[in-house]
Amino acid sequence: PLQLLQSKAVPKRLQTSQKKPREPQVPMSLIKEIFRHFVKMPVTRDAFKIVEKCSHRYFKQLSDDLEAYSHHAGRKTVEMADLEVLMRRQGLVTDKMPLNVLIERYLPLEYRKLLIPIAVSGNKVIPCK
Amino acid sequence: SSSRRMKSTAPRSTLRKIIKNHKPQLRLAANVDLLAWRFYFTFKKACPVVIHLNFLLFLHRLAEEARTNAFEKKSKIIKPEHTVSAAKVL
Repeated sequence: PLQLLQSKAVPKRLQTSQKKPREPQVPMSLIKEIFRHFVKMPVTRDAFKIVEKCSHRYFKQLSDDLEAYSHHAGRKTVEMADLEVLMRRQGLVTDKMPLNVLIERYLPLEYRKLLIPIAVSGNKVIPCK
Repeated sequence: SSSRRMKSTAPRSTLRKIIKNHKPQLRLAANVDLLAWRFYFTFKKACPVVIHLNFLLFLHRLAEEARTNAFEKKSKIIKPEHTVSAAKVL
């Protein structure tokens, strides 16, 4: 019933000659798609706006945390170790749920290959492309 | 939409830019391109992808919480208030 309210035809925006420097953001379409995939229920438009806001806040928080972790380790570069510590603190990575399992479960093959070199028959290891 | 697979490619450069925007002085370990044989070495190079993973998991949790809230309120659709209270839990 909700879909009837939403107009399908979105007017194309005119190409503006002077682009305002916008804050970089994950495209709303992607956020919507991911959220919809997980929630498996209809979602109102306003609820999506909240999801977008939460995502924004999430990245702010993430940046703060990653800065704190890498700073604590005396680095200026965020490394995998920092992310693993963060995900442990978030309770996402545990002894029973190692990062590798999460990677295998959530990421497509091309990224898995990037993160986990795949051992094939024999002792050959296929590196990322 | 559950029939088709979720597109899960990461907007990697966007993720980088977002972090850069919040923390201009912070660097993310460089990604890809190079052949990396050793596990740790590979890992080190893959920050934006894992940030994407973290973001996916964040949205997953948010979705689950919102769903639970909607069920509790006997609602068949996710409304703003369900996501708001979900966000508070996280």
